[in-house]
Amino acid sequence: MMARMASRQAMWAVAREEWRSLLRSRAALSAVVVTLLLTLTATLVGFEHRHAIESERSRFQSLADRQWHDQPDRHPHRVSHYGHYVFRPLSPLAFFDFGVDPFTGHTLYLEGHRQNSANFGDAGQSSVLLRFGLLTPAFVLQTLVPLLIGFLAFGSIARERERGQLRFSIAQGISGRTLLAGKLLAHALVAGLLALPAFAGMAYLSLTAAATAPAALFMLAGYALYLLMWSCAAVGISACASRARDALILFTGLWIVMVILIPRLVPDLASHRITLPTRIETDVAIRKDLAAIGDSHDPEDPYFRNFREQTLARYGVKKVEDLPVNYGGLLMAEGERLTSELFARYMQDNFRRQQEQSRWVHAFSPLSPAIAVRRMSAALAGSDRDSHARFLQDAEQYRYALIQALNRMHAEQVRYHNDKEQRIGQHNWQALPRFSPPAHPFAAILQAHVLPSLAVLAGWLAALLLAVMLLGKRLERKAT
Amino acid sequence: MPTTLAPEGAALAARALEVSYQAVPVLRGVDLRVERGEIYALLGGNGAGKSTMINAFLGFVNPSSGSVHVCGHDVAKAPLPARAQLAYVPENVALYEHLSARENIDYFMRLAGMPMTDTAGIERALDAVGLDDNSRGRRLGGFSKGMRQKVAIALALARRTPVLLLDEPNTGLDPQATSELNGLLKQLRGQDIAIFMVTHDLLSAAEVADRIGFLSRGRIVEEFSAAGPERFDVRNLYRNYAGHAFPQGAAWSHPA
Repeated sequence: MMARMASRQAMWAVAREEWRSLLRSRAALSAVVVTLLLTLTATLVGFEHRHAIESERSRFQSLADRQWHDQPDRHPHRVSHYGHYVFRPLSPLAFFDFGVDPFTGHTLYLEGHRQNSANFGDAGQSSVLLRFGLLTPAFVLQTLVPLLIGFLAFGSIARERERGQLRFSIAQGISGRTLLAGKLLAHALVAGLLALPAFAGMAYLSLTAAATAPAALFMLAGYALYLLMWSCAAVGISACASRARDALILFTGLWIVMVILIPRLVPDLASHRITLPTRIETDVAIRKDLAAIGDSHDPEDPYFRNFREQTLARYGVKKVEDLPVNYGGLLMAEGERLTSELFARYMQDNFRRQQEQSRWVHAFSPLSPAIAVRRMSAALAGSDRDSHARFLQDAEQYRYALIQALNRMHAEQVRYHNDKEQRIGQHNWQALPRFSPPAHPFAAILQAHVLPSLAVLAGWLAALLLAVMLLGKRLERKAT
Repeated sequence: MPTTLAPEGAALAARALEVSYQAVPVLRGVDLRVERGEIYALLGGNGAGKSTMINAFLGFVNPSSGSVHVCGHDVAKAPLPARAQLAYVPENVALYEHLSARENIDYFMRLAGMPMTDTAGIERALDAVGLDDNSRGRRLGGFSKGMRQKVAIALALARRTPVLLLDEPNTGLDPQATSELNGLLKQLRGQDIAIFMVTHDLLSAAEVADRIGFLSRGRIVEEFSAAGPERFDVRNLYRNYAGHAFPQGAAWSHPA
């Protein structure tokens, strides 16, 4: 009991001494202050950016809704071509990690017969999605803080070894593990300090929007594991190296491979391996398929001639003029169904390929924890590729329901004769529901992205902690 | 001649100690025993194995065979309890430059698991080694080697360990600092502390040591004591030292 207390006191003494040494080093202190300011700036900019987008979204959504509402009495087909804007709502945690948003945007224009072209955009490419360099709290914590941890900790053991201080310290009777634990504690807490503004932002959100709390907690846990892992790596490398210079070179090499090289190369390999058609290729293919379906405006088109025959038979009449509903509306609805099915098929194929690319990239996360933390971070911030894909799918479902509702109005409220000259009252589309995408269950996000990423990070941390413990034992014998 | 002694009861004991580095034997069957209240000086030329002997007591090398004990603790099996019994003053005292003498002692006391509850203990230790008041609060960056050594010995005093290991304590010290150090070592011997020093400085060793051992090619080839039938004098010692540590005909200036 006494020995454990003495060991704990010695560990804190080592940590305090490490902090004192950092505080007395002008270079270290400046680097910490600059990074801290950077995290703070990124957090404030993130909040401001999200607030600006949300305000804009809210303003434009109400403007779009008002314009939609205020359309004068008109033909429902004109209403369907008037179109409607929908905006993707941002999660409160989007301030932390913009994810794919800067590449994919938040706005969609919905119109009859046409699926939004964003569904086939190149922004979903895995190689694009991992190329982030925006000043966000996530970028600072994922990329810059690990580097700074290395710069601050590379000499923690190796420099003392060079100066003979390590040998002198061990000769006082402190165990190697206690010494390393003290160094680790010091650098982990410095890393925590550097992340503090971002974590404080998350805590503030959790207090003001309780629904955000679970995601914020997981985010905090993931980044804590990630930064602790890098602290372990830096102290461990310092304990291995015989010279501080070697430790710095080794750490920088590791950082380049794990944070820059693998996360940059793997998505490129994924894009190369699982190719995604470009928007132009998709447009050409869709046009070709549309032409194959038929032309609803051509009375002799075989498919639509057959559709007309079936419709007449169903209503028991001989001519479209005798139908109790407007055949033009039915034709529009059928055309919409066919084109939407075609668009959906292409969209699903596109999403499937994107998911395959993502799976391929994520398979490399055991090699690069930066991939794991990025995956977790964007998923929890609601700014990952999946969130964007869900928005596109929800918007497409809404568009289809909206256009078919207008086609139904066309069929039921507009007479066949002199069709184009008629109008229906604006209350018809005013009564249609607004776009309101359902919230994705948090458990599904956890299962799909967060837990696998946390498992990778925890695995790395466990392996590094084990290595540090073994190195601690070795240090007692090899302090020179 | 070296004798094989039981380690029990001795402050420091090496028995049939053999140490090899990459299959090259460095210590070959060393038997050595230092009692409390005794100063033992181990002399030897470069590469004789003196530093390895210190490393063996500190637990930084594993014996190929034989054993090393510090106050009854087998260093190979229990290095931490063994280290807790000894204070070590390296040749180049590796204290923290950015800390003052007081801060250094306070820090290393904490590492030793003996945090000082008041500063009086530190001041007493610094008083004992004669470090002047003005220097105590200054960072070590501007300290001379002698002053650093005083701080390291003050740490040893503050830790109240029964054993003190000194690695080449006189190297780089001026005559006054050497004399002060010798006086201090004699004081510590009076406090029942066992002192083991490895050194090249024959004169200092002859001045303070109760026993002197000559290490050559990993073996203690001769041992002399300040009293009794094996009593040494500087002339004999020098003859032995030069004969064992240096090849015949090598340059060697006789001490005045």
